[in-house]
Amino acid sequence: MIIKSFKIAAPKRFEVYMENLEVKPNELLVKIEKATICKADIRYYLGDRNRKILDLKYPMSLLHETVGTVLKNNSNKQIQVGEKVVLIPILVPNPSQGEGVPYWNASLGENYHPHAKFASSNCDGFSKEMVCIPDNNVQKTSKQLAEKEAVFMELISVALASIRRIGPLFGQKVAVWGDGVLGYILCCVLKKMNVQKVICVGKHREKLDKFPADANYYIKDPKLKEEDIDTAFECVGGHGSQSAIDQIIDTVSVGAAIVLTGVSEQPINVNTRRILEKGLSIFGSTRSTYEDFKVAAELLEDDIFKDQIAKLVLGHVDIHNINDFYDAFELEIANKELGKYILNFRL
Amino acid sequence: MNIAVILAGGKGLRMKSAETPKQFIDVYGKPIVIHTIEKFDNHPMIDSILVACIPEWIEDLRGMLKKFDIKKVKWIVEGGETRQESVFNAVTKLQSVLGNDDIVLVHDAVRPLITSKIIDDNIEGAINHGAVDTVIPATDTIIRTVDSCTISSVPARNELYLGQTPQSFKYSILKNAHMYSEELKIRDASDDCQLVLQNKQDVYLIAGDKLNFKITTVEDLLLLKAILKLSS
Repeated sequence: MIIKSFKIAAPKRFEVYMENLEVKPNELLVKIEKATICKADIRYYLGDRNRKILDLKYPMSLLHETVGTVLKNNSNKQIQVGEKVVLIPILVPNPSQGEGVPYWNASLGENYHPHAKFASSNCDGFSKEMVCIPDNNVQKTSKQLAEKEAVFMELISVALASIRRIGPLFGQKVAVWGDGVLGYILCCVLKKMNVQKVICVGKHREKLDKFPADANYYIKDPKLKEEDIDTAFECVGGHGSQSAIDQIIDTVSVGAAIVLTGVSEQPINVNTRRILEKGLSIFGSTRSTYEDFKVAAELLEDDIFKDQIAKLVLGHVDIHNINDFYDAFELEIANKELGKYILNFRL
Repeated sequence: MNIAVILAGGKGLRMKSAETPKQFIDVYGKPIVIHTIEKFDNHPMIDSILVACIPEWIEDLRGMLKKFDIKKVKWIVEGGETRQESVFNAVTKLQSVLGNDDIVLVHDAVRPLITSKIIDDNIEGAINHGAVDTVIPATDTIIRTVDSCTISSVPARNELYLGQTPQSFKYSILKNAHMYSEELKIRDASDDCQLVLQNKQDVYLIAGDKLNFKITTVEDLLLLKAILKLSS
């Protein structure tokens, strides 16, 4: 079957493609219905990466935060035609065995599998009329959630993966640096856990006020140092990474753990002297696993959590053609609010 | 109920392919008609499909439907000498199955690049208006000539659109249009909207897509293959 797709072919240039899809054994045919644009999508759109890397990636379909409807099931899995699903963008040849890989610490999760691919990063994403996807790569969701909240499931799974990276946080004082969408979602997830206190740190008071945290601090607030933070999550990324990490190192308690989740394109300086002096542990976390999606789906069944996620929806944008797709990217680039626009795919 | 009628009754004389009608030409491992049918087969709002097929290719078509795991084709009827006759055969076949308000989408087998959106919009439009035609704005200036040598007139381009398919109707509107045309002995209408208009019924416009073009000539076939090749 021939389907329409959009691919980024050069900075700020999308092209229309007509692709021939074949649903292979153990695959599903899924119609793409909802999506949100991620910061990584914007970097590819703007060409904000090393030119050599971009040349390897283009042309590529963007978007990996997506919801769709199953149109065909070519597998033995109990997934009904018509069922709503969130697409899982991590593609692993065989997650349980680490096929052909000399050494791989499987306990980290399949998102660290050396052969793993990630949709819209090193293989095509989901900016298409329909996709064929392995039956493992979907998480079922309800029709109601599919309209709005489910499109944030990928980000919820990423938040869960970052928590899983350091283990239980029971009774701890936990801080989140960054007042963007991931910071907000991480705050919501942490509030569902048995942590002693959730503290959020950012530079936009109007955004921080919306976080369901136990305490919010403006980045320069001197009182922040009075909190004895056991674990800190960096959700800043980009140009702000360095100053955020500096402040985290300076603020957290001796022996604290720091989890980095923000992506910085440029190498940054880190104050290793202070890390040594305070005996800090630093962990990196990226993407998520199938299991994280399962837990994210369970979290969305909670009404309070679901309502918190729904607050991130700034509006809906219909995508009928490639011009609408350009407009959606420009809208998201200009967006300075806490939240995202949902793209309604009508291709 | 929403039924797709796929017109695969053409002999493809303009394609000059002596043995294989254009709708059965293989494009990257699959006949064009199957590429087209798959789009309706996988559309959640389409309940069943009827194919009007060249009589001598019906058995081949049955084999193709099986080979490519097409589920929704319930009827295959013989295509007629004209497009109108093929649709008439389909309308007659569906008489015992469809109610007046059921929707029929009539689509050319040789338009494989149809999108889900066009199907969605046709169904919605036919439900709301009773009769719709898929069109795209004319971007080239259209010239009218009566002698094939000189320009007779140049119609205003902003009033002109190019007709595509599907053309979609409530069943009663399509059936009545064909019955009325039989009475008037109109036998060679190039599309169903003309017949519906003849029967004093408004036909509304649905936005098509430039890529939903008809594979009529060898150049069209080349274009289709090039589009798919570029995307692979």
